[in-house]
Amino acid sequence: MINFEEELKKFRPSLEVEDAESIITGQDLDDMSDVLVDLIKETREIQDKRPSDHEGR
Amino acid sequence: MQCYRCGAELTASDYCPSCGTNVRIQKRLQSLSARCYNEGLEKARVRNMTGAVESLRQSLKLDKNNIDARNLLGLVYYETGEVVAALTEWVISKNLQPEDNDADRYVEQVRSDVARFETENQTLKKFNVALRYCRQNALDLAVIQLKKVLQMNPGYVRAHLLLSLLYLNDKKPVKARTEANRALALDTGSILGARYLKEAEELLMPGEAEASESKRKEAIRYQSGNEDIIQPTIPMGLRRGGVFAGLLAGALLGIAIALYLILPARIQSMNTTNQQEIAAISEENDAKNARLLESEQREATLALEIDDLKAEIDELIQAGNRSTTADLLMSAVTAYLNVPEEDTAETQAQRMDQVEAIMNTYDPAATEETPSPQEQSLYNAFIAVVGEELTKRSYDAGYAAYRRKDYETAIPALARAFRYDGERDDALFCLGSAYYESGDTDAAKDTYNRVIQLFPNTKSAESAEAKLAEINNAS
Repeated sequence: MINFEEELKKFRPSLEVEDAESIITGQDLDDMSDVLVDLIKETREIQDKRPSDHEGR
Repeated sequence: MQCYRCGAELTASDYCPSCGTNVRIQKRLQSLSARCYNEGLEKARVRNMTGAVESLRQSLKLDKNNIDARNLLGLVYYETGEVVAALTEWVISKNLQPEDNDADRYVEQVRSDVARFETENQTLKKFNVALRYCRQNALDLAVIQLKKVLQMNPGYVRAHLLLSLLYLNDKKPVKARTEANRALALDTGSILGARYLKEAEELLMPGEAEASESKRKEAIRYQSGNEDIIQPTIPMGLRRGGVFAGLLAGALLGIAIALYLILPARIQSMNTTNQQEIAAISEENDAKNARLLESEQREATLALEIDDLKAEIDELIQAGNRSTTADLLMSAVTAYLNVPEEDTAETQAQRMDQVEAIMNTYDPAATEETPSPQEQSLYNAFIAVVGEELTKRSYDAGYAAYRRKDYETAIPALARAFRYDGERDDALFCLGSAYYESGDTDAAKDTYNRVIQLFPNTKSAESAEAKLAEINNAS
């Protein structure tokens, strides 16, 4: 038996034209490449920090 | 394909020809994105819009620069009624690839038809209002609002789904099923649509939903206007082997229907018609008979009225006659009593002349009616006074006429003389002779017989007997 209240929660309001600009500008467009780039950057930063730590010892 | 680091165009090599970056993973991601796009395209072709959106979104997560995937995602959104979502994807697509982009065309087409774009925007607003009504538990208003939405944009899948859910909640499985079917027709991959359809069918036939599902799959289903047509399929064996048997059975069934259903009904119908006609004729005949009887009765009544009127007329005539004889008598009496101041012999003679003239016309016997007692009394009294003079005058006039053989004058004058004075046997005998001489022997014989009976042993009687013998001998 379907629970009406629960089913109703699955329906979200439609996007209206007035909201289009904010939706476009606020949309997260990052894809897997961006994630990988960020990941590589973080990895390199970590690698860059490690020799300085070693030199300090 | 471009290097994610420097933007240089990549080659078949796994390294960027410009900056030397290893692009193997980037190429791998773009390949996976393309695969997801292909899946999305396949799903969109069979109107599995939900599946298509899922695949295309996955494709864009792998490669945001996959313009075809983004444009197709916009088209899928637009087809399901999500116009703003579609425009959003196309605008992003244009920003990512300003040149040589189909999104330009899509956006331009949407913008060029301002009226339609405004209608679609209103549709979205109304859907949001309906959704708000649902959350405020104003479900009737929500249904009305959703019907308006679907009237404006019948391709809005989410509106069909929400309406189906509302019908399910309102225990209207038939309507819920219809809306779910419409949603599934627009989006064959809609999980919500499939769930609502199953729920509606369970409400319609509890416990038989699965069986009906299998039957539904065996049947041919198509939509004609707003109606869902379900045509059950026939097993091939029955279709081939039973063709002739079916035709034969059909023919026999037709004959049986004609004999046992149509023919008796037809006969019954004809009988009913004939009976109605007979009844109508009978009624008409009865009406005519009634009119004839009425005419006869009226005729009889009129005949009676005529008889009554005739009798009345006769009475009136007789009354008129009586009044005439009475008037004559009164006139005679008046003339006799109208004595002048100087009453001489001459005036007396003149008055008697008037009385005689009037009395000559007075003959109650001619009316065949008995005079009233008053009239008779007056007559007797008047005759007692003037009878002698009138008798004399009448007899003299009658006898003189008889002598000169004027029997037409003699007969009434002599009859009056005998009426005035019943003792005058000579007047009666002379009357008989006048009849005899005039040729009326029957009247003469009667008169002579009266003389013999009334005045026996008189000279007149002897003469009368002689005349009778003469008449008898002559005949």
